[in-house]
Amino acid sequence: MPGKSRRDFLKNSIAGGIAATGISASVANAGPKNILSADRMGVLVDTTVCVGCRNCEWACKTAHNLDSGDLNSYEERKILESKRRPSEHALTVVNEYTHGKNSTLPVDVKVQCMHCDHPACVSACIVGAFSKQENGAVIWDTDMCIGCRYCMAACPFQIPAFEYNKAINPLIMKCDFCFDRTKEEKLPACVGICPTETLTYGPRTELIRIARERIKRDPSRYIDHIYGEYEVGGTAWMYLASKNFTELDFPLLSKNPAPGVSESIQHGIFAYFVPPVSLYALLGGIMWLSKRRKEMEGEEKI
Amino acid sequence: MRTNIIALSVIIFTYCMSAQQMRIEKHSKMNIDCKTCHTCDVPTKADPCLTECPREKIATVYQKPEQTPELIKINQLSDRYEPVYFSHKLHAQMAAISDGCENCHHHNTSGPILKCNKCHEVSRQREDVGIPDLKGAYHRQCMDCHREWSHETGCNSCHNLKTDGEKSSPKFDYKKYAGKDHPDVVVPSVINYKTKSDRGEIVTFSHNDHTKSFGLKCTNCHKHESCSKCHDVSHKTSEKPKEVKTELSFEQQHKNCINCHEKNEQCNRCHGRENIEPFNHTKKTGWALNRHHEKLACSKCHGQKIPYKKIDNKCSSCHQAWNKENFKHSITGLQLDETHIELSCEDCHLEGNFELKPSCNGCHENFSYPNKKPGQLIRN
Repeated sequence: MPGKSRRDFLKNSIAGGIAATGISASVANAGPKNILSADRMGVLVDTTVCVGCRNCEWACKTAHNLDSGDLNSYEERKILESKRRPSEHALTVVNEYTHGKNSTLPVDVKVQCMHCDHPACVSACIVGAFSKQENGAVIWDTDMCIGCRYCMAACPFQIPAFEYNKAINPLIMKCDFCFDRTKEEKLPACVGICPTETLTYGPRTELIRIARERIKRDPSRYIDHIYGEYEVGGTAWMYLASKNFTELDFPLLSKNPAPGVSESIQHGIFAYFVPPVSLYALLGGIMWLSKRRKEMEGEEKI
Repeated sequence: MRTNIIALSVIIFTYCMSAQQMRIEKHSKMNIDCKTCHTCDVPTKADPCLTECPREKIATVYQKPEQTPELIKINQLSDRYEPVYFSHKLHAQMAAISDGCENCHHHNTSGPILKCNKCHEVSRQREDVGIPDLKGAYHRQCMDCHREWSHETGCNSCHNLKTDGEKSSPKFDYKKYAGKDHPDVVVPSVINYKTKSDRGEIVTFSHNDHTKSFGLKCTNCHKHESCSKCHDVSHKTSEKPKEVKTELSFEQQHKNCINCHEKNEQCNRCHGRENIEPFNHTKKTGWALNRHHEKLACSKCHGQKIPYKKIDNKCSSCHQAWNKENFKHSITGLQLDETHIELSCEDCHLEGNFELKPSCNGCHENFSYPNKKPGQLIRN
């Protein structure tokens, strides 16, 4: 749930606004935690070895206390006939596509939050609930979240989901890179269960090296592209595949971080509470002008 | 008691050290480029500077499939499932069709067969994530073929769930594969490939010639073959067999051929609008392979080096060591009589040219071969 209601938020922002216009600009400067540590972790997803068993889906739900059902029920492959998206009920899903180059086997692709190095959600979140953590995870504080859903609009991968069906305390839901598990030195749930180790968890720089080595050693198996190495400025989750990523429903993105230009303009404007100050100055100016005009008119009448 | 333990550990330690020593000595003498495994020029024991496990053919321990174990129990990893009994011999027979032992034992320079967990760690949380962990390695090894074969990916399609003491009928009866053999492979004699080449879309490949006459081994061309190469693996689905989209470069497509056929050979040597006749020595070279030459391996005359070198049709080009003393004329089908056997070769074969008709005129006027024979025709 948004720990704060919209009313709470408005109350606080009015109070904050008054305080800020009066005295200080330091509140506005305290941005969200956005750390890009050199040894941040990531996951390399080698879609050429994924068999589409969907054990990761089960493990994810179980780790996040979602309704996971019996593991045996995941053997049903009919579900792979349609394409699914991560939702508030399933933070990760596996989709199946037709075979890639030099193979008859279908290509299975796990979809979840990519945990961008320069996350648009962190930038877009107006209450600073989102943060990029030192270990690479992009997580959010449900107590701060007010449910504005800007993160959903900002995400280039359309990952964050919202519990629209809940009338009371609806939450933003997405993969949190098993932040609570990795804090305790455990593997992310999906990485832990994967039978083929499609998901390799390790330092991001090391994963890029491994991915390059795999492409070099077996060029007939892979296309020469590590998705996520450069997309939107790099992501913690990266993919290898045997066919073009656009054919696997990955968005075609530039190397520029998603927040990019808009963020710099936005942050520039909002720094030091320029808009409120300038708004009040403008209003004051208009008032002063109209008052002066009235005075002039009065003088003329007299 | 304590001395016994110490003695025993010393023996074990020495044995391990000597085994290791032996392995290093052996593999340094093998015909492998050091750089296949080591990145630096002088690898030492302390710093072997090993590259990532190369999957190339560097296994040195070969066994016939029939010499290998029938079933291997794999019981290291799962609490959830019963042990898996892997039908090793049967799989070894399948592997023999393409890559052989190293299809799975891909990094085994010398010494005894290494267990998978020698390199593949049991724990997924580990320092070197470049090499798959044991669970990943096992499944990757199995699933490429099994997905193609059975189209099943569910755990229960291979693993039997553990039951707490209850009797259950196992879905998968591993042990029934114990005595089974893979049937012998039927080798095609001619294969017609359909290509997109504008130089002629049909490439006729005489498989028989290449394996039987030219002495190529299966593994010279066949690498990482899948079951679907021979089997119709669509039998369990309603789908038609998929056509594999081969996205190979010109070099990759021709790699197997170019080893022997020269790069700048005419395209139409292999590509045509119709099927091309198999290789015929008489037509191609003008020299018929008769009698003694018919069943010879090409390399007997043309040497081991491929592409084969051309040779002229003089007997002496191959049979340099033949002279009057050691040549038995009877193998030509003509046994010389007592008088003629004493003569030197050039008396009848003028100027030592054995291609020409022999001449009798040196001694006999008006005699000619084969009307008059210097001996008796025999059957070889």
